[in-house]
Amino acid sequence: MDFSLSDEQIELQNLARQILGDQTTNEHLRDIEAGDERFDEKLWADLAEAGLLGIAIGEEQGGMALGYESLCLLVEEVGRSVAPAPVIPVLVSAGMAIDRFGTDEQKQRLLPGVVSGETMLSAALIEPLNEDPERPLARAKVEGEGVVLDGIKTCVPFANRAERIVMAAQQDGGVGLFLVDPQAEGVALARQNSTAGEPQFEVRLDAAHVASNDILAGPEEGARVLHWISQRTAAANCMMAAGVVDRMTRMTAEYTAEREQFGVKIATFQAVGQRAANCYIDSECLRLLAQQAVSLLNEDRPADDEVTIAKMWVGDVTHRVSHAAQHLHGGIGVDRDYPLFRYCLWAKQLELAMGSTAQLTARLGEGIAREFSANA
Amino acid sequence: MRIEFTPDQLALQKELRAYFEELVTPELQAELDAGGEGGGPEFRKAMRRLGADGWIGLSWPKELGGREMTPMEQYIFTEEVMRTGFPYPFLTTEAIGPVLHEYGSDQMREAVVMPILRGEVVIAIGYSEPGAGTDLASLTTRADRDGDEWVINGQKVWTSLADFSDYIWLAARTDPGSKKHRGLSLLLVPNDAPGLTVSPIWTMGVRTNATYYDNVRVPAENLIGGEGNGWALITGQLNRERLSLVNHGSADTLYRRVAKWAADTESPHGGRVIDQPWVQTNLARVKSGLEALKLICWKQAWAMTEGNLQMADASVAKVYGTEFFLEHYRLLGEIVGQAGGTIQRDSPGEILKGRLEFMYRVGSILTFGGGTNEVQRDIISAAGLGMPRSR
Repeated sequence: MDFSLSDEQIELQNLARQILGDQTTNEHLRDIEAGDERFDEKLWADLAEAGLLGIAIGEEQGGMALGYESLCLLVEEVGRSVAPAPVIPVLVSAGMAIDRFGTDEQKQRLLPGVVSGETMLSAALIEPLNEDPERPLARAKVEGEGVVLDGIKTCVPFANRAERIVMAAQQDGGVGLFLVDPQAEGVALARQNSTAGEPQFEVRLDAAHVASNDILAGPEEGARVLHWISQRTAAANCMMAAGVVDRMTRMTAEYTAEREQFGVKIATFQAVGQRAANCYIDSECLRLLAQQAVSLLNEDRPADDEVTIAKMWVGDVTHRVSHAAQHLHGGIGVDRDYPLFRYCLWAKQLELAMGSTAQLTARLGEGIAREFSANA
Repeated sequence: MRIEFTPDQLALQKELRAYFEELVTPELQAELDAGGEGGGPEFRKAMRRLGADGWIGLSWPKELGGREMTPMEQYIFTEEVMRTGFPYPFLTTEAIGPVLHEYGSDQMREAVVMPILRGEVVIAIGYSEPGAGTDLASLTTRADRDGDEWVINGQKVWTSLADFSDYIWLAARTDPGSKKHRGLSLLLVPNDAPGLTVSPIWTMGVRTNATYYDNVRVPAENLIGGEGNGWALITGQLNRERLSLVNHGSADTLYRRVAKWAADTESPHGGRVIDQPWVQTNLARVKSGLEALKLICWKQAWAMTEGNLQMADASVAKVYGTEFFLEHYRLLGEIVGQAGGTIQRDSPGEILKGRLEFMYRVGSILTFGGGTNEVQRDIISAAGLGMPRSR
């Protein structure tokens, strides 16, 4: 039993905090958000420069091969700073998947650029009215050496900038996973304005051709690879949420310790202190659950229930803490001149991504019924 | 990070689980089912066996015949005890025993500490008074020095176990002019001391007691840890009490029993109880809450082992754990329905021996027992979030 980070991980965490802290001041984020797209190219380049984009990518591709758990420390810090940096789609859902399951050619073609910050990737995990990433409705038909895709993906982050988008489709014999070029013929992107400002797109596939060297997994192994990606994406979401929630809670403590009404700091009202304590408890629970899921996945251990439960908590905790933080701040909590609003918007994003609490509760319950029926 | 038990820890867990399955004989189970918090002949027998097999001294120093295991192993032991429902006297063995050993006289070590290790002695806690609950430091029971003795006068409430304990670990004011935290001391009062009366308080759940002290005399050496040093000992012990109040073992066992019952029980309308989506939803919500409880407990045991338990963490465990327990009983109670949640044990139609009916009745004390949750939240916002203190 060990809840501690290694010395190497602590160094990474400090490095990430330093770079992200310097470049996520309220003023700087406001400038970025005044631009066309909520993405900070300089920050991304700085993360690459420090080696942080290669944390979980193999050494042959220029990465550090330090694994998923270490990468999730960066993800948590991005949450804590609400930095405009798409670490989950680029590095977890797509980067790690290609590093693990890609051909040598795919790795050499795509990953060195990810490490250097020049190549963006993404993953398209949900479809309209179909938010279970593991049951895609899009279809793939074999055509020559490659495949042709039809279907619609939605809420795809950074689809416009991605060199390739990882996506799944049903094909004869199972589910296949493909690296789709968003600029290819038959692929149409429509920009979606998302609540947290992350650039997202609806991606329509109309006989989109995927060459044979862009097949990530065929129907024999596609389901397993897709499950691997979904779990790691979901658990990374949980770590990001842990960062978001922790910062919202502390921001609320700091604000109420300064804000005066009736001649006293409002933090000295027990009604305020008690509610902040609830946020702290939620925040602690969420972090522990996220850490458990991540550390198990890091060792390729089974973690289906652990990931599901952590994500269920994300759904509840992001909502509870976000609302308590705004409530205890009062009006300034919703003012776009004060930094809290970004956390609340990200909280909403994370609440619903990779499965809602209700959906996951049902899934967990079905699993429990199977488990105890098998024992009966 | 490696958030799971080591092979050695898993082996200890397995050993303990098998041990307790054997320890809880049908006779002991019948005695426990009849209610109460121990004290019967089967309970005493089991305690002696735990002592003889060396389990009571799990965390005690080797020089005392203990095994000197870490808080992590102690936690595993606690969890397995709680799974059985055996009313193990944690405060006697974990909180008071070591203090008595550290501060007591040689004679007292021989007469009390060694018998604790052998499972022969149970000690009740005498802190709360009618006028001193959450504000414990305002207690007024007094102990006055008279030659080689202390003379105790006053009244305590919620003196649980005093109806069968061997001693009461009593907080009293030894400096009559003192206020609040100063001037308090701890005394070990034998249950058979003249002038001590124990009378029952029947709560919604279990029996507890009021204890009355009318010129009760104890030898001077029964004042433990130095005159006026009571507050530090009390607060240290309350922290330990919180750790044994909130444990994953008993809640996990109850969840498993209900889930198994639901999977084994046919519904007259077809299918089984567990096939209904709302039953699955409740089980899932319980499991999700249990998972957080488990991790809070593990983290706490790990932090204690590493020697870096944070002040807010013990309070987080107390608040989350106790509030979760109530929700847990409620969600499981819905699954067993009116019959399972309201029909008492040994009545026709009982479900799972009326366990949920009982737990819900007894459970409401959890949120205020062992330090009320509002005070815990004050500690969390001050120590965990650095917010200025209320008042």
